[in-house]
Amino acid sequence: MSLHFINAEKRMYDSIIFPSFDLSIGLGSVVAVYSSVNVREQVIELLLENTRLSNGEIRVGESSVSYNKHKMGFFFLKDSLYERLSIEEMLYFTKRLYSSNESIEDVIQTVQLDVKRKVKIKQLSYSERKRVQLACLLVQDPEVYIFEEADQNLDLESKRIFLMILLQLKQQNRSVLILTGNMESAVTMSDKIFRLDENGLHAVHMEEGNEDHTTSAEELTPIVESVLPVRFEKIPTKINEKIVLFDPPEIDYIESNEGQSYLHIKGESFPSVSTLNELEARLLPFGFFRCHRSYIVNLQKVREVITWTRNSYSLVLDDKDKSTIPLSKSKMVELKEMLGL
Amino acid sequence: MMISLRRMNAILQKDFKDFSRNLAVSTVLIMPIGLGLMYGRAGDHSIEYHFMLINLAFAMVATYVQCCLIAEEKEKNTLRGLMLSPASTTEILGGKSLLTFILTMFVVVITAYFAEYKPANIGIMAVAFILSSFFYIAFGTLLGLFSKSVMEASVIVMPVVTVFSLGSFLPTIVDQYPIAKVGMYLPNIQLIELATKVEAGSGMGDVLVELGIILAWVVLLCILTAVIYRKRMVD
Repeated sequence: MSLHFINAEKRMYDSIIFPSFDLSIGLGSVVAVYSSVNVREQVIELLLENTRLSNGEIRVGESSVSYNKHKMGFFFLKDSLYERLSIEEMLYFTKRLYSSNESIEDVIQTVQLDVKRKVKIKQLSYSERKRVQLACLLVQDPEVYIFEEADQNLDLESKRIFLMILLQLKQQNRSVLILTGNMESAVTMSDKIFRLDENGLHAVHMEEGNEDHTTSAEELTPIVESVLPVRFEKIPTKINEKIVLFDPPEIDYIESNEGQSYLHIKGESFPSVSTLNELEARLLPFGFFRCHRSYIVNLQKVREVITWTRNSYSLVLDDKDKSTIPLSKSKMVELKEMLGL
Repeated sequence: MMISLRRMNAILQKDFKDFSRNLAVSTVLIMPIGLGLMYGRAGDHSIEYHFMLINLAFAMVATYVQCCLIAEEKEKNTLRGLMLSPASTTEILGGKSLLTFILTMFVVVITAYFAEYKPANIGIMAVAFILSSFFYIAFGTLLGLFSKSVMEASVIVMPVVTVFSLGSFLPTIVDQYPIAKVGMYLPNIQLIELATKVEAGSGMGDVLVELGIILAWVVLLCILTAVIYRKRMVD
């Protein structure tokens, strides 16, 4: 069953939360909506029918939300588990509550909590609780899955399980909507990304092979000329009215967000005056690598390359926060060549 | 609307497991039984003493436990999960009340047994006890819906416990303070009057007024609870 936002618009106290937009999430597709916390909460309230749209409508399948309420399954940021029950008891309760036919055995295997099935939920770690929460959702077996900040604060193992399950849901022709404020998680988890804010819904382009090559080639030529006369090695950033200069080796990675590029240095981010393409050209000699359409990484700082699935990868850096940044499939091939694999 | 017994049963079983591991709330059951034992041995068998204990058992188990169960569901955010499930309001509140009802009946019977209270007409008293327990459970649900955490719940339930257990001595002061007459219509006092009549050998027909007043309280609180549930749960 698919989820449609038709002409949906929300205003609150005379200010626009989001202007009208259309979005359809078809069968077997995973769509991420990248937004601020306010917008995310509003979308969830709307799906829960706690508030109403100012305009337009939301449809589940062919009918309205209230008619198909139980076809939707929510994965909230805040879990709602009975702490004194064991994992097995919790799942058994969910199964009976939803009169579902899913096998608890299979679900426990899928979230890989087989060893801990008799452990009480309050004794589990945060990531394990999230996995139990996901297991409960799988037991419900809804047609439309809605995830709120699905992989926030999860450990690597749980993230991997999560991505695996998303892939399974896709194969089972379920519709999945991911609401997140983290671009990295949006990129790793979904096929299509949209940004939703007071300016409306905009598709965020995922890097797909050839289209990217042409644009970067066009943009590269003028930059090379401007760089040639003086070789200035520091990278300027602008904070309020000050200009701060950084040495390239200091930079952990560079991220582009809404057309503005940010240098990440020791866990802090500084807006840069140049575009990502300009930066890429200047930083290439210093061992930087364009690992994604909106990311440049300092290869010296990369500690680990994680393979989530056959098509999605992340780089883990050796910086203070152990940041993870997405690595796209085509760039993975390039990176492998550079590493001589 | 069809009420699914399977779902109610699922909620009941879940609550039973959860409750039996929740010592902070489940140890409350011991109190009325323990007091019953003590008073039973002390040898004072007046009807006021018996009913102070029985009303205490009602308030401590039905109201307190129900209030804490509902408040915990709210605090731990699990009530939202239940409300999003196919279970209807009746099934959710019914399933939860069913556990409290079973516990209440169990504790009241044991307490009465230990306190050596032997009603003259068990049938009438059973009806009166069941009606009263509905009142106390509805009251507990109502208070649970008002409180945000178990901590808050166990505080706001205390005045209720005091009024309904020690309130059993209200008839003894009603001559001094005429204003206290209003309190005579409280369901706990009505229960005592009913019990006194039963001891005097009255039949079902003579106690219909008392049963009617208790029933009116039950209906009133059920309506109030339903209204508050709708109102509180929307926001």
